Amino acid sequence: MTTAANRFWRQTEAVLVELPADVRLHRDDFYSQPDWDVFQMRYTSADGFRLFAWLSVPLGDGPFPAVIRMPDYASVHDIVYTPLRERAVVMNPTFRGQRESDQAFQAEFPGLLTEGIEDPGSYVMRRVFADALRGFDALLAQGQAEVGEVAVIGTGLGGTLALAVAAHRAAVKAVAANTPMALGNPASLVPGLAYPLAELDDYMRLYSDQKEAVKKNTADLDPLKTAGKITSPVLLSVGIYDTGSCPLAFGEKLAAKIPDCDLRVYHGAGEGGGHEHAQIQLSWLSDRLGLG
Amino acid sequence: MATEQDLQDFTTQVTCPDDFDEFWAGTLEMLSGISLNPVVAAEPLRSNDDVHVFNVTYLSLGGLEISAWYSLPAHGDGPFPAVINFPGYKSEPPVRRDWARRGVAVLSVAVRGKLKSSSEFNPGYPGLLTSGLESKETYGYRGVISDCVRGVDFLSSRQEIDPGRIYACGTSQGGGLTLITSALRPEIKAGVSGYPFLCCYPEAMAMFRSYPYDELACYARAYPDQEERMLDTLRYFDAVNFAPRIKCPMVVGIALDDEVCPPETSYAAYQALTSHRELWLFPNSGHGNAHEYPSQERAWLESQIERSAVAS
Repeated sequence: MTTAANRFWRQTEAVLVELPADVRLHRDDFYSQPDWDVFQMRYTSADGFRLFAWLSVPLGDGPFPAVIRMPDYASVHDIVYTPLRERAVVMNPTFRGQRESDQAFQAEFPGLLTEGIEDPGSYVMRRVFADALRGFDALLAQGQAEVGEVAVIGTGLGGTLALAVAAHRAAVKAVAANTPMALGNPASLVPGLAYPLAELDDYMRLYSDQKEAVKKNTADLDPLKTAGKITSPVLLSVGIYDTGSCPLAFGEKLAAKIPDCDLRVYHGAGEGGGHEHAQIQLSWLSDRLGLG
Repeated sequence: MATEQDLQDFTTQVTCPDDFDEFWAGTLEMLSGISLNPVVAAEPLRSNDDVHVFNVTYLSLGGLEISAWYSLPAHGDGPFPAVINFPGYKSEPPVRRDWARRGVAVLSVAVRGKLKSSSEFNPGYPGLLTSGLESKETYGYRGVISDCVRGVDFLSSRQEIDPGRIYACGTSQGGGLTLITSALRPEIKAGVSGYPFLCCYPEAMAMFRSYPYDELACYARAYPDQEERMLDTLRYFDAVNFAPRIKCPMVVGIALDDEVCPPETSYAAYQALTSHRELWLFPNSGHGNAHEYPSQERAWLESQIERSAVAS
């Protein structure tokens, strides 16, 4: 990892250490199911932002394996159905600006990827990574469910956040990342990409004097810079026609940097395998978490 | 995974209320009494050499201000053919520069509750599907559907748009809204409805435990004495009841392993169509992820657009 990226992650951790997570849970009677309870979870992240997560807990005694589904680049991170919820704790954390975590700041889509990008201190995406780390910490800190081994999964930005959490939290047991967003890598800055990465080119086209700032202030977030620190097995999917999140060449470089990576390349556009890979991922996660 | 036989064997219990047409005629009449009041503002950040992007606002049911992304070809004089793109349940409407680059204007509607249209109505996700279910008059989707109808009105009002060449598309909720809006606005000349949501609510909420349909099951569990009234309200918003009222060619795309919108329910909407119809089945795909769907959608709509150009 470069010195600058090292400094960024050290500062991020230092900010989080100073702030208690202050986790609060509230059972949601409306969305709870006969087989699992649903909780609304709130906790504190960097800058004092209160963040929201959906947490589902199977009925019965723990410890339960857990799956954290990191949020993609979108406004809503809803109560995602997964068959694992009958047997595993499932957490859907949000980052600042998403629905339910937008009291102080409401993110725009498109728009968030360049919000405050002219300065590292104001660039929101740098704090989004802090929010991801804090989500993992909050799951371990909550007292409602006894949690066993934890897998972190995500698609697009969620895939990148999942990899970042695994690089900085050794307790992560497994990672499943689909088409992780190349934010921070030079591959994200070329013209002609699709959204969401195209937001960066939009910004550089309109504010041509900010090109260097865009490169500099995103560079620390490049997943390639932390990939080597991941100790857990990673299931990584990419699509050969993807130009909006994880261009193929970037995905292949990323896979090569991760010590234990199972790379699956699909002929789909941006979804990294779609339905076929969803089945593979479910089976892979079940094996890693001992869910059979 | 559902089979084609499963689709053909499926029969919905949804019936059409006697006053269905009266209810929607009354809603459209209310809309006609509200000034569209369109405002079109340039979005230089999203525009480029090939596409001019605008943020549009217009007024809809209840006087709510609705936003939309409006992408126009930068080259050519027009009038342009136009596609109205309806959004999914929880996703924000995309900026569709891809179509505009190919000479087609696109209006991508942020129906009420979406970020750009949420200042006065914001039930959240989950939440929208059960918002105001107490009656057909208060149900949130009455407004959502009206916002789509007004999007068609906006396009029809524009000098740069050929009013005889307006098309519709969307997936999931956008697929359901494509069917419904096409029934309410004959200005739509053809549509592609992918993995349509908003079909056969009683069966859909019973077949799967995934959201958004599971919101209805949660509602029924929380308020068991209200379930009958809920299902009665939903009959006025079921795409199956709109389908026979569609006059234009329509494609319905269905993924046989769809885990969000049961394929049988989408097929029921297809079966209810009486206009020219096409069925695209994707055997090894789930909700919204058939690899070939986006290219098929584009090719089919382009063929419709070209055909209308030749005819005119």
